[in-house]
Amino acid sequence: MSFPSGPNGTGLDAPEFGFSLRWRSSRHARRLLTLGLAALFVATVARRPEFAGIAAPALLLLAAGRSQRRPPRVTLRVRPSARRAFEGELVAIDLEIDGQGDDSVQWTLHPGREIDPVGATAADGPQVRFTFSPRRWGRRQIGTLDVVLRDRWRLAEGHLTVDLPALDCYPAPAQQRTQVVLTRLPNRLGEHAARTFGEGIEFSGVREYVPGDRQRSINWPASTRRGRLQVNTFTAERSQDVVLLVDSTSDVGEPGSSALDLALRGAAAGARAYLDARDRVGVITYHWGSVGWLVPGLGRRQVYRIIDAMLASERGAAGPSGSAYGTSMRRLPRAALPPGALVVVFSPLLDQRFIETLRDMRERGFTMLVVDVLNADPPVRPRSADRMARRIWRMEQEAIRFSLRELGVPVVHWDGVQSLDLPLARYTRRPLVTGASRGSWGSRR
Amino acid sequence: MTRPATIRAAAALLGAGCVVWAAAPLVHTGLANLALALAILGVVGGVLRLLLAGVPVPEETFLLPTPLRAWLRFLETLRLVPWEEGAVIAIVWLEVMHSSRPWPTAGLGAALIAYLLATHLAESGASPGVLRPQARVLAVGAVLLALGAGAGMLPAAGPGAGSALLRLIAAIALIVAAGLVLPYVGKA
Repeated sequence: MSFPSGPNGTGLDAPEFGFSLRWRSSRHARRLLTLGLAALFVATVARRPEFAGIAAPALLLLAAGRSQRRPPRVTLRVRPSARRAFEGELVAIDLEIDGQGDDSVQWTLHPGREIDPVGATAADGPQVRFTFSPRRWGRRQIGTLDVVLRDRWRLAEGHLTVDLPALDCYPAPAQQRTQVVLTRLPNRLGEHAARTFGEGIEFSGVREYVPGDRQRSINWPASTRRGRLQVNTFTAERSQDVVLLVDSTSDVGEPGSSALDLALRGAAAGARAYLDARDRVGVITYHWGSVGWLVPGLGRRQVYRIIDAMLASERGAAGPSGSAYGTSMRRLPRAALPPGALVVVFSPLLDQRFIETLRDMRERGFTMLVVDVLNADPPVRPRSADRMARRIWRMEQEAIRFSLRELGVPVVHWDGVQSLDLPLARYTRRPLVTGASRGSWGSRR
Repeated sequence: MTRPATIRAAAALLGAGCVVWAAAPLVHTGLANLALALAILGVVGGVLRLLLAGVPVPEETFLLPTPLRAWLRFLETLRLVPWEEGAVIAIVWLEVMHSSRPWPTAGLGAALIAYLLATHLAESGASPGVLRPQARVLAVGAVLLALGAGAGMLPAAGPGAGSALLRLIAAIALIVAAGLVLPYVGKA
């Protein structure tokens, strides 16, 4: 039996459900019956009344428990503390039973796949709480719950097995505090210092006063030195459009630290870092030639929309913005991939069509930065041919990365352990140059 | 030592005590050796089942290595076989092979009931307090146990009016107990 799912699929909105119990005699009752019958049989056959005495306590216990009333149905309430959780986050589930009468209740939680129980998985009483933590992103079944009711004579057991609701587990975002900023930013108020003068707070230079300048911006030391009024100038503060492009084609490596795991964690970290800087962030998920997308947006909620979109694409469902999964990259709407946007790509760069897509995007003038999340080698047997094949494979991978760099697409490698700030440091210290393709391969094509 | 471990140890000791009590002094008539072996096997199997009750079984048993598959089969067998029932029958069988000794037999009956209760507490993880509602019934059972032992003593005292009365009481008690239990057996 399972809880009927609500619109969100967790059953949270439906607090209680009735379940029928399957009652049967307990092992204890069967053992007492065995003792009673065996002793009675021996007493009759051997004509030894002391064996009838052995049977008496067991048979009396069975007779006393005979008239016990057993509830045919009980009501269960299940309240998870959260519908969504990040990897490794603690989640509690509160369980309560009603209608059990005087019977004792024993709960046993059998955790689902990728669910780690924290603390005990068995408990007694009408109200219990189990704590667990999801190990890996995805839609995870919390597990199944065995409920056993025992009457006061411990002779009958009512059994109930319930499938607990599912939990949406989000990839735990990696650590990223810095942002890559483009040289050319759209004319939209933000927090990044642009190259143009404006009303920001970052000092840019000094120029001569012209009528209309604000008096408070006069630089008095400079004016005294030059003998004419000088005013401070400041840089404009702009925001940018960032599109996270996640390649979910190849999931290679150990589960938990595979290329897809790292791509999702890195994209979640990027979404959080850029949204914190008031940038508009969107996501495109690439899967075997087709894409799902979420148009760039602002605000803290966008982080969750982005992660939902990535997980929905991974399941092959439509994204939260209604994006049609299965569209090719060339048919992406302008809103999903705005011109002048910074495209941060998370990919193991194993799919040749995806690499061609990146080249195509670069030739269309997008500024891109590739985070290489490949951390696994193909397995080899101890044979020279296998070792040779692996060397060739590595050389091919190096060639792919070299070709992208030649096109003007920086490629950085991220191992998933260290902060994303480290591999991105070269590009976060100064603005990333915006512009058309400047590579030799691109110009030849 | 935690409470579950204590109860498991108590169940193991009570089981071993019952086997020793029923076996001593050793007899070599009939199938006494077989009964003793079955009793030991039953008690050991039951104790092992209690000890290994918490060992998890993987959901996916596909393509497991042979030792792991053998271990899982062992666990499955351990959890399926009614070891305690077998042990109880073998112990009663062992006891009946001795010549009549009513009071030791009554003591064995009390120990067997205690063994079964301890086994139930150990397997359900419950505290001994859950047996409190059964105290009166167990007391009445102890009285019947003593009556049965007394009835067993009577042949040694020789035939007489008291002997007949006690035999009658014992028979009535047995009939009442059997009458009470029959509907339950029908339901089970």
